[in-house]
Amino acid sequence: MSGTADATEAGTATVPASGWDEPEPALCTSALRKTYGGTVAVADVDLSVPRGAVLGMLGPNGSGKTTTIRMLLGLTEPTAGSVELLGHRVPEQTGRALPFVGALVEGPGFHPFLSGRRNLLRCAAMEPALFGADVRGAVQQALERVGLAGAAERRYRSYSLGMKQRLGLAAALLVPRELVVLDEPTNGLDPAGTREVRRIIAELHANGTTVVVSSHLLSEVEATCTHAAVLQGGTLIAQGELKTLLESGGPNLLVSVSDNESGLEALRQLGVPARVEGGELRVELSGTDSPEVIAALVRAGVGVYEARRDRAGLEEIFARLTEGET
Amino acid sequence: MTGTASRVELPSGIRQHHSAPFGRVVGSELGWVLRRPRNLLALLGLAALPVLIGTVITITGGPGGGSGLFAAVVGNGMVLPVLSLMLTQNLLLPLIIAMVAADGLAGEAANGTLRGLLLAPVGRVRLVVVKALGVLMMVLLAIGVVVLSGVLTGLLIVGGDGLVTLSGTTLPLGEALGRVALAAGWCAVQMAAVGAVALAISSTTEHSLLVLIATVGALVVFGVLEAIPSLDWLKPVLITTDWYSISDVLSDPIRTTDLLSGLWRAGCYILLGFSAAVARMATKDT
Repeated sequence: MSGTADATEAGTATVPASGWDEPEPALCTSALRKTYGGTVAVADVDLSVPRGAVLGMLGPNGSGKTTTIRMLLGLTEPTAGSVELLGHRVPEQTGRALPFVGALVEGPGFHPFLSGRRNLLRCAAMEPALFGADVRGAVQQALERVGLAGAAERRYRSYSLGMKQRLGLAAALLVPRELVVLDEPTNGLDPAGTREVRRIIAELHANGTTVVVSSHLLSEVEATCTHAAVLQGGTLIAQGELKTLLESGGPNLLVSVSDNESGLEALRQLGVPARVEGGELRVELSGTDSPEVIAALVRAGVGVYEARRDRAGLEEIFARLTEGET
Repeated sequence: MTGTASRVELPSGIRQHHSAPFGRVVGSELGWVLRRPRNLLALLGLAALPVLIGTVITITGGPGGGSGLFAAVVGNGMVLPVLSLMLTQNLLLPLIIAMVAADGLAGEAANGTLRGLLLAPVGRVRLVVVKALGVLMMVLLAIGVVVLSGVLTGLLIVGGDGLVTLSGTTLPLGEALGRVALAAGWCAVQMAAVGAVALAISSTTEHSLLVLIATVGALVVFGVLEAIPSLDWLKPVLITTDWYSISDVLSDPIRTTDLLSGLWRAGCYILLGFSAAVARMATKDT
């Protein structure tokens, strides 16, 4: 926190300046654990989110995503372990970090008898970063950003599920943030709404904001994230850059051929693992490459209609990871 | 670009302030309490009550004899606000206060809005202070409405010149208003005690209804305990013990013994209730 070397760095709005050479992660936990009675909700999670990353937190329902997020934000006290949020210990110094954090946790929470704008004004009144006249402007801007400006005067009671979710997003984005935490942000949104959320996440990312998104929709994470963390039964079973995770599955070649049986036979003789999948051949490229595979097929008299590389999808990796655990 | 230090442009003020201005937070809270339709309806109902009592007593000529406040109010308008306070402070006022306290923490927790407040962030202790101020405002408003409506009804419908005290002397209007204000202030302290306890209960649950039941239920139980002669030794700890002595402000001179012990007791309840609410909120999962 202190030291002359950091004084210059502090001028660039990083919070807070760290004493290390490595840039300090926006968020890190060590051996984070939460038990409710005899039930272990989160077990020894060591999560680290680099600054500027968009982290997708993946896991089936009940895997501990929300509990982890609640501990990150100081809403729930961990049974054991520690959390550092933007360099501040949670829960002791949560108040120092939270002004820089926007969050949508466990769905939007607003008062049904107030209009969307009134609800946001109430949130804005509690924001340390807003002063006097800025409050109304910030609310209007946030409403426009999530496409709710037209429905701002309607009571929250009358909002559709998607509109409620948008208002929750607006509250998280009232002021520029260092870190934005979104728990299932696309719940209840139509495809257009989902795209907008992706756009908002991309905007935040472009501005250098660190984003943590939890989701059970894998395609959503694949489309928006730079990093991923996979939770299963309260345990963190994988984390890292999305690219690395995706490539860990090994590349595949999908070949559409005239005769699957003879194609398989030809590849077997070559010692290349392959199987029939959806009327095509899925060829693992671990010990060989595409031209060699195609040449082998053609030499065996098998007609090749189409061949394309297939990166293992997140879905597949996720299935593989979670299968291994159970 | 991952792994680099962020360069987010943040408003400069955020560096110096870790929390929003206290006045603005309190103002927002008070506005929120006053925008809730049911709170407004409650105040409206409270305003109607003294009018109803005053009109009925004037038309029917009162209970016809006896020594209670009901008998004293006939043709003696300035007794009406005190009578109205005494009638409402047993159940109606505590019910309304408990309702606001229930909305304050339990209701906000159930709505998911408590999370929002804590994430803003409003510190946990600060939050309880703000909520307590919201409840206190409702206490003052509710009592103010009863007293104002009582005084106006007393002057306009019941009539009477000055105040005939329960001791038989007559006080001029100015002094009579002073006595009414005294009763209102005393009642406010009692209701603040109810509010503090209700807020403490509110901090332990997210079911508003439970707060109402526990608060009003406790007052009913206290009333029953008080009525059992062999449990006299319990009286010093029951908040309701001196509630009927609010009429002591209408004797001449004022009988202060019970009023003062009532104040002390309410003070203890306020302290206990508020500390319990703070202690619970400090570690509450939200």
